[in-house]
Amino acid sequence: MKRYDCLRAIAPQFGEELVVTNIGAVRHEWQALRPHPGNYHLQNLGLTSSMALGLALALPHRKIIAFDGDGSLLLNLGALATMANQHPKNLIHVVFDNECYESSRGAPTATAGQADLAAIARGAGFANVITTKTIDEFEQGFSRALKSNDLYFILAKVEAGAGDVPAAALDSQENKYIFVRYIEKSENLRILTSTLSRASDSVPKSK
Amino acid sequence: MKREVAAEIVDSLKEAGIDFVATLTEANLHDLVMALGEDTDIHHVPVTREEEGIGICAGAYLGGKNPAMVMMNAGFLLSANALATVCIHPGIPVLMLIGHSGGVGEENAGHATVGSLTEPVLQAMHIVYEKVGRFDDIRPTIRDSQILARSSRRPTAIVLNKQALR
Repeated sequence: MKRYDCLRAIAPQFGEELVVTNIGAVRHEWQALRPHPGNYHLQNLGLTSSMALGLALALPHRKIIAFDGDGSLLLNLGALATMANQHPKNLIHVVFDNECYESSRGAPTATAGQADLAAIARGAGFANVITTKTIDEFEQGFSRALKSNDLYFILAKVEAGAGDVPAAALDSQENKYIFVRYIEKSENLRILTSTLSRASDSVPKSK
Repeated sequence: MKREVAAEIVDSLKEAGIDFVATLTEANLHDLVMALGEDTDIHHVPVTREEEGIGICAGAYLGGKNPAMVMMNAGFLLSANALATVCIHPGIPVLMLIGHSGGVGEENAGHATVGSLTEPVLQAMHIVYEKVGRFDDIRPTIRDSQILARSSRRPTAIVLNKQALR
């Protein structure tokens, strides 16, 4: 199975869930399938799961989904231990494991050798770990995780290859503002504080 | 770090609005980390690697929290790419409290290089920072550094020197 087909299979299940995508093609694929202000596309390899954990802890009543990759997670394996210990019940950590650094021309990752990220997640303390190898397994596993009230780790063993989608036309700064304004509105929060100019203090009030 | 210094830092963080702190401990930070773990007003996330904490803090900010990261300077150096890509590039603030090993008063020769690199790297990354050693400076510096972090949407740092850490 391909990552894009997995994403396409689960996209209809999404409502107001918040999504953090890994750097690489997954951001373009997901943005094409589910254009939504609750998508945050991280421009960093490694910290996708950590960003999602921070969001999940800050907004425990919202469902948070991380679309991570094997190369990214291997860079930040300790995050699994932190996630398991914090145990946010509203977080689903999806890892698309194509066994290579696909965006960097495809050299093999450690999962092309002996490493098993699902076993590592179990060892880190995740109670709910699903390994999927077909679209049906992935769709059903994700659906179960989405309906549950618990922390899930879903490993999707995929072939390398990106979906035929246009590049997401979204700068990091623009993405941040859209995401934060959406959170402010939907959660009735003020995140981006603004201050009046001092000059306004001296402006006479209109009568 | 003396317990009264740790208590002053925790109280100052709360007064500055900080409600979420990621930490990676060290001997000098032990009392502060333990005090944060016991505090019920601050969500404490002990991390396994400092850059992980930067990612967690950034996510917490996007979810409406006011985050801070407590670490030693070795961890700050380790976090340079995370700070650049996750915080500075999109414009996400995080207040950093950085213990300064290898600064003035350092007795361990092994810390000297990391110590001498800390401020130049902060400067190279255009991160505004203050050095704190005196007890009376802790509260206003935490308050003002957090005000700047929030308004500038950028990370800021407080470098705790040996005087504060002892």
